[in-house]
Amino acid sequence: MLQVTIDGRLHEFQQSVSILHALRSLHIDIPALCYDDRMKPFGGCRLCAVQVNRGPRPVMACDTNISGGMTIETHSPELAEWRRSLLRLLARQYPASAIQQSPDKEFHRLIRAYGLEQECSGAALPELMDDSNPYIHVDMSQCISCYRCVRICGEVQGQFVWQVWNRGDATRIRPDSGTNLRESSCVSCGACVDTCPTGALEDKSVLSLGTPTDWTRTTCAYCGTGCEMNVGTRGGQIVEIKPALDAPVNHGHLCVKGRYAFDYVRAEDRVTQPMIRSGGAWKAASWEEAIAFTAEALGRIAAQHGLSSVGVLGSARATNEENYLAQKFARVVLGTNNIDCCARVCHTPTAAAMKLMLGAGAATNSFDDIETARTILVCGANATENHPIAGARIKQAALRGARLIVIDPRKIELTQYAALHLQLRPGTNVALLNAMACTIVEENLCDLAFLKERVSGFQEFNNFIRSWSAEKAASLCGLEPAEIRAAARAYAMEKPAMCIHGLGVTEHVQGTEGVMCLVNLALLTGNIGKPGAGINPLRGQNNVQGAAHMGCDPGILTGSISLRDGHDLFSRVWRTPVPTQKGLSMLGMLDAAADGRFKALWAIGYDIYLTNANAQATRRALQRLELIVIQDMFLNETAREFGHVFLPAASSFEKTGTFMNAERRIQLVRKAIEPIGASRSDWEIICDLARAMGKGKSFSYSSPEDIWEEIRTVWNAGAGISYKRLESGGLQWPCPAEDHPGTKVLHAIAFSLGTQAALRMIEHRPPSETPNEEYPFILNTGRTLYHFNAGTMTLRTSNKLLRPRDCLDISTEDARRLESSNGKSVRICSRYGQAVLPIKIEDSVRPGELFATFHTPEVFLNNVTSPHRDNYVGTPEYKVTAVRIERA
Amino acid sequence: MNGKHSSAHIASFYHLFAENNAEQFCRGTACFAARHTNPDRWAKTESDEQRVYCLGKCFAAPASSSDTGRPKMEVRSREPIVLGPIMDGPIRSVAAYTAQGGYRTVEHALKMPREELLGMVELSGLRGRGGAGFPAGKKWRAVAGQPASQKFVVANADEGDPGAYIDRFLVEDDPHRLIEAMSIAGYAIGGNKGYIYLRKEYPQACLVMEQALDEARRNGLLGDRILGNGFSFDIELVVGRGSYVCGEETALLNSIEGNRPEVRLRPPYPSEYGLFGKPTLINNVETFANIPWIVRNGGDAFRRLGFSNSHGTKVLSLNSLFQAPGLYEVDFGIGVRQIVEDLGGGLQTGPIKGVIIGGPLAGIIPPHLFDTRLGFEELAGIGASVGHGGVIAFDGSTSIAELIHHVFDFGAYESCGKCTPCRLGSRSVEQMFRQITGAGHVPIHEQKECVDIVSALAMTSLCGLGTGLAEFARSAMRHYAEELAPCFK
Repeated sequence: MLQVTIDGRLHEFQQSVSILHALRSLHIDIPALCYDDRMKPFGGCRLCAVQVNRGPRPVMACDTNISGGMTIETHSPELAEWRRSLLRLLARQYPASAIQQSPDKEFHRLIRAYGLEQECSGAALPELMDDSNPYIHVDMSQCISCYRCVRICGEVQGQFVWQVWNRGDATRIRPDSGTNLRESSCVSCGACVDTCPTGALEDKSVLSLGTPTDWTRTTCAYCGTGCEMNVGTRGGQIVEIKPALDAPVNHGHLCVKGRYAFDYVRAEDRVTQPMIRSGGAWKAASWEEAIAFTAEALGRIAAQHGLSSVGVLGSARATNEENYLAQKFARVVLGTNNIDCCARVCHTPTAAAMKLMLGAGAATNSFDDIETARTILVCGANATENHPIAGARIKQAALRGARLIVIDPRKIELTQYAALHLQLRPGTNVALLNAMACTIVEENLCDLAFLKERVSGFQEFNNFIRSWSAEKAASLCGLEPAEIRAAARAYAMEKPAMCIHGLGVTEHVQGTEGVMCLVNLALLTGNIGKPGAGINPLRGQNNVQGAAHMGCDPGILTGSISLRDGHDLFSRVWRTPVPTQKGLSMLGMLDAAADGRFKALWAIGYDIYLTNANAQATRRALQRLELIVIQDMFLNETAREFGHVFLPAASSFEKTGTFMNAERRIQLVRKAIEPIGASRSDWEIICDLARAMGKGKSFSYSSPEDIWEEIRTVWNAGAGISYKRLESGGLQWPCPAEDHPGTKVLHAIAFSLGTQAALRMIEHRPPSETPNEEYPFILNTGRTLYHFNAGTMTLRTSNKLLRPRDCLDISTEDARRLESSNGKSVRICSRYGQAVLPIKIEDSVRPGELFATFHTPEVFLNNVTSPHRDNYVGTPEYKVTAVRIERA
Repeated sequence: MNGKHSSAHIASFYHLFAENNAEQFCRGTACFAARHTNPDRWAKTESDEQRVYCLGKCFAAPASSSDTGRPKMEVRSREPIVLGPIMDGPIRSVAAYTAQGGYRTVEHALKMPREELLGMVELSGLRGRGGAGFPAGKKWRAVAGQPASQKFVVANADEGDPGAYIDRFLVEDDPHRLIEAMSIAGYAIGGNKGYIYLRKEYPQACLVMEQALDEARRNGLLGDRILGNGFSFDIELVVGRGSYVCGEETALLNSIEGNRPEVRLRPPYPSEYGLFGKPTLINNVETFANIPWIVRNGGDAFRRLGFSNSHGTKVLSLNSLFQAPGLYEVDFGIGVRQIVEDLGGGLQTGPIKGVIIGGPLAGIIPPHLFDTRLGFEELAGIGASVGHGGVIAFDGSTSIAELIHHVFDFGAYESCGKCTPCRLGSRSVEQMFRQITGAGHVPIHEQKECVDIVSALAMTSLCGLGTGLAEFARSAMRHYAEELAPCFK
């Protein structure tokens, strides 16, 4: 306990913190213009000067820690005079108009508090303004050289866009382009705007729509990182989004999607009225009509073709409560296990492999472990683009000295920070990971104590894996044996080592087996069950972990319980027998539809036509359906081509509920604005339809919380999580009781399926397609920073200005050979279809390899992708398709 | 790491980053004080857009880069420690240096227990000659005590204080002594790599040092297992690009690292978190120059020299207005009056109006305080400083307002811009005195503002540039109040 006298009063502190922290904890306000909790103290503005122990000179509160017996003066007349002098120096350079325009800025409030408005005599210089970025307005006439923008860009985002030029009073801050922000390496995360204490950097939305009058804390609706943010509204409209400073995942940071891409909510083409297609044309309908139509059609088809002819797709964009209801609807109302979600096309392989080997199909650790890990193995995950906040944290960890190993066929941004980049051939993960395991075994780098206590099957594995020499894998993967060995050594020796993986592991024919190989590495080296370690999938969509975990899976009930194990419990709670026969997966439904055995599909928030691989096959299947019900915000490609009924859904800004992020954290989604037009929350629509189909009693919920309370009764690991507890931050399951703090690290003492986990012997199978004379290139697909998956949301925002279209990344060498230049359109043809898109010369891809995104319907890249699937869970092979390039 | 980014923004910090073969005219304080002795040249200086502050030729001011003279050198101390070896001319080759017994001290030191060396430096009472006067032994001990596997030794040869040209000649005339001393330091603290950060304004020193390092390496005096011993040590020469602030040790480290050379917050101190984040010993050239003597003669012998808490000798550099400008090695304890009258012989140009010791970022000593004795605490007691040891006298042709304007113009030009008081305050005072020297006065109410800014500078500046400017201004306002009074009306 430290006793400190502050302004004549004695205070006690548990530990030594900075004087500024201590003062803020006591609500003693002193100015500190260059200080922000998210960054290291800088000591530039000198306003937080305080007098300590009556010393001859003041010290800076931001940079001085309290110690026992200290006497601190915070507001003596001299301090006030010094602060006033400093503020006056700043005011003299500052345009008065800025103060009037945005009176609430930190600096502007200080100027008023010290009565210095009249001193503001700087000029607003047009040459210091920059409007090139669609979201960020720059006016460096209002810069006070606190460098907060420079520092947050480096210390939090790791982008280093803002640079300090010149010195002394000629110091200027400019983007790294030397020209404007648009031409710089800026990724529009907005961190600089967020920290700027003046109007130098401002959100354009605030300038055009006004400052927010209300704030609502909620959880981001984009990727599975699960950032918490504050939504600022004015007159029922979103005008600004800021990161929640105390959020456990994002620590006061957001990316361009979470912070800025919210305009889709008010997009002109948003559908806000139910519609029924009749005679080929969509006609507006009332909710009663649309629900009645759907209920009748579903009932009729089920009666005519049997219960296995109908199915539901839950949504990774919807809440846990809504996904719980979607699967309950399928099982209770329709009487079928034909329920799935988009996890099928992304991380179902992860969930399956980890469930099988460890007993829980979810990340073993937490995002906070990124800062604990000494080695970070990033495998098939382009985190800085697809999970930018996780990516920024990985970058910062690497900058602080963590050893980063990247396994990726492309030179993704993280490779710039990596000690090792294993640029393998697409589709050879298993060979590489086996060879790493072989090196670990050969060089006696196993954690023997861990092996003995927690791992089984080592004897057989040992015999098997020794055939996987680094040399053997190197020739298959196109790598050097030495780099494979170096990666294995680092992972095994520089512990704790954390593995983070993405769709580059799972979206392959050996997707599930690839994850198993990662688990093998963790088991051999004891890198599991402890902080800074583990196997951690970066989940793609905000609630894809939740959608599957709530039971949107043909073989699994809520809480990841098998149909057999959960039968009695769920039948009792739902007061109706749960169907026992495993249902059809999403791809199974499409296959059955193509055969004429499956007839009606209700797709909630999921554009299957645009996003499924091998679109021609999807098309053939969807064409044969008698009923396609689309529940979405927009007339997506599935709806446009094949839909019969359209049910307009509310966005996540317009409803309450919970999401589950990639680290098993349940977080609240809170309503910030009213649903637009007649759109309604998914849970309300599901309940209405259930009522219309005679099951109203089982769907009589008064609120999302009401649904959550039912979930708690069937899901033991979530039983301790109440909305009330979530008010003060999310909770990570397992959390079986109200007094349980939640679980940051899984499998610490034992695995969910027992004390020991078994190693798996995985044989490498050659990639499903290899280049030949007719199809000489391998096409890899993925996503980019500015657009999210099918682009349904981001393409309706100014992100479209930042990246207007899909393009084909090709190496300089191949582009030269094809005599193609940047921007020139080409046709890529596979055995399954073709697509036309412009070329982008990118040395992140190797010669012979191509990369493209499938964000836009104009390009419709999935016309090209292959029909091959993972042999465990059927996930499509998105990453390896042999193609040729033709002139468009 | 960020290959996509150029370092142009870093280069923009420095004013001498570009190669420039044109003749440069010095604007240093000694040249300013002597401007009336060569008005034609000063006119050129003022019209030159490329500013340069102090070429280390204050003994023949106002100076230009084309001047080639050497200063007078004289040992007035009991022991010829620093200047003694070069009294008969430069010793630039390994042969010349070893003929005088050079490199024998390091050979001897490498056989000593490290602890004994540290103890010697501590016992000697040697204090930093670069301005702050921090006990060298404490620094050595602190770095030696760090458990890191990599440590650095850095020689601060960025003698930027206008008026000082001591380190310039220690490097130009005796480069191997610096190499030898740094090697001893490296051995004592457990570091294998040294850096010499030398200012670009001393081109001859750069040339000599580069050749000396090269020759030392070729003779096995630097590199792997020096002198056939188990200890390896090498030194890299880093030439500055024009910035006064780089003489501040943490800015200097940032500069070597290729970062913007702003002052770092302390703690952590460089002894713990220095160059590239590793424990680093930084001493200035003259401090290092004392080391071989201390190792040969023992800490106690050194401690017996000097007076009060200032031990050993100090080299002073007297400016051109004196009858006898030049370099003088003296014992601490000598009176300011002796410096001015006995060493310098008074001014050539008339009565002395005041003297600035240790560069312009310290208090002026007016004639009525000339009885003060040379010592760290003694000079601090009258608001002045030992500093680097530059001694600039000025005469009646320099008004105090002109002097204040000159010093604040220098300060504002050299401010790194990180902290508010220095970035904006130094310029405000400069502009106020620009108006005073032009129109003769400013409105009276600006006097309070001036005092307020100086107070904020003194109390809240991040480094010695801001506080030094304030000390200078306060001493001017205190000692020359009468002269300054009509400036505000």
